[in-house]
Amino acid sequence: MFEEMHFMMGQYKAPIPDDRLYSPRHLWLKESGPGRYRVGFTAYSVRLLQDVYFLEWSIDPETLVRDKQEIGEIESAKAVSSMFPPFAGKVLSFNAQLLNDPSGINADNYGSGWLYEFETTSPPLSAAGYVEFLKSAWDDAQRTIKGQVNES
Amino acid sequence: MAGSKVTVVISQAQGRNPIRRQLEEDIATSLIAEPGVDVSLVPHLYDMSNEHTGMLFLRSVPGNLILLSWLYERATRWTLDRAGIRGKEGLSLLKAAEDDEDFDDDEEKDDRTYKGIGSVNVPNRRIYSIDLRAADNAEAFLREIRRISEENSVQTVDLMSWIGGSPKPEQLQRYLEPERLLEARRALDSGSATHVDKAILPEDTGRRWYPVIDYSRCTNCMECIDFCLFGVYGVDALDRILVEEQDNCKKGCPACSRVCPENAIIFPQHKQPAIAGAAGEVSGLKIDLTKLFGGDTGESAVEMAIKERDRELILDGREAVGMSVGIKQKVREEIDQLIADLDALEF
Repeated sequence: MFEEMHFMMGQYKAPIPDDRLYSPRHLWLKESGPGRYRVGFTAYSVRLLQDVYFLEWSIDPETLVRDKQEIGEIESAKAVSSMFPPFAGKVLSFNAQLLNDPSGINADNYGSGWLYEFETTSPPLSAAGYVEFLKSAWDDAQRTIKGQVNES
Repeated sequence: MAGSKVTVVISQAQGRNPIRRQLEEDIATSLIAEPGVDVSLVPHLYDMSNEHTGMLFLRSVPGNLILLSWLYERATRWTLDRAGIRGKEGLSLLKAAEDDEDFDDDEEKDDRTYKGIGSVNVPNRRIYSIDLRAADNAEAFLREIRRISEENSVQTVDLMSWIGGSPKPEQLQRYLEPERLLEARRALDSGSATHVDKAILPEDTGRRWYPVIDYSRCTNCMECIDFCLFGVYGVDALDRILVEEQDNCKKGCPACSRVCPENAIIFPQHKQPAIAGAAGEVSGLKIDLTKLFGGDTGESAVEMAIKERDRELILDGREAVGMSVGIKQKVREEIDQLIADLDALEF
């Protein structure tokens, strides 16, 4: 069988399929037209989030967004996070299926659990580039999570 | 025999959302014709004051009660409890999709059991809370109501207190005429309400904001009363923690809920399900992934609670207190919990 690219999170093997592109915000982007992408969470994100049960967008479709602009919130059994776009660009439309039941993110994060359609001129990372990024950021990521223990 | 009758009360949505209104009306209209069921409508449960006629009506319902509302079941159940409307917890099989526990991720299951102090003076009848967001068509609710109605028709002996049909105080009369209530409501929505219509409709309710304690989780640890500096909490004659002054609470501030070690404090109108009373999840002590996903902040529940409290203190013209008041035990519990969370992540 074809060996997919992946990243090891402790014991967990997060698949990073190379049929699409990536953002360091832990999102995948799959081209659906020139400069147009379908965006979703990577397996890395989903592993950190685990069972998602709340998803809310704070912007409307067809909204221009800055990099690092907050566009919504997500909450799971174990974690909360604000959400940010992969790059500066334009959020075109949201996956209506997730609005009532965000568990689709867990069921099929690389497929039907996609988040939104997005337009950007920024160049996304390749799968290999994202895996490299994950490797370089892994120590930091663990510190960020564990740091929340120490800060208290 | 009337002894097996079930009373269904629909707590109406806030505002006049036509889709929600329609669902309420569809359910009510069908139930008016349903044998063995009495139906009525009251304003939004959470927004009614203790003396609101709708609350008086609910208190006057003697037998088994099914309460349909736009709230999580826990929020409904414990809001009723605070208003003195109590009963054994009836089990509704109609659940919002979010409550489905069909995840198969082994080690992440919430198997925490709560050892709360429970309710007191619980009469021998059942109260079923159903979340109106659990389905989008009346039929699903009618099926569940019929199932509950049948479930209860076999135990008429317990319900000798039924006094249906006996006269009610005049101000409660409106709740016994659901057709008339629906008619008046339609008139109001279309702008053609007459004086007669308006007299039929219950008193207006403004939107309220206050904590609701889930006593099945609350251990009476008093963290909330130590943390809240706005005089919301008190204790009752049995020294049980009580939301004494609901309206002292600061709109939008859920800080006490974040510091509660048992996640027993519900703010039904908060946008996060964990705080609004969704079933299942335990931890308000969640790992914040915002930093990893691109944001610059990463705050723990306690940090958020302290900020929220300080903001309200300053708005009141008082001094911010930061970490200095009422947070000790929580910090300890939070560290334990986060370590457990990290273990589960297998780093």
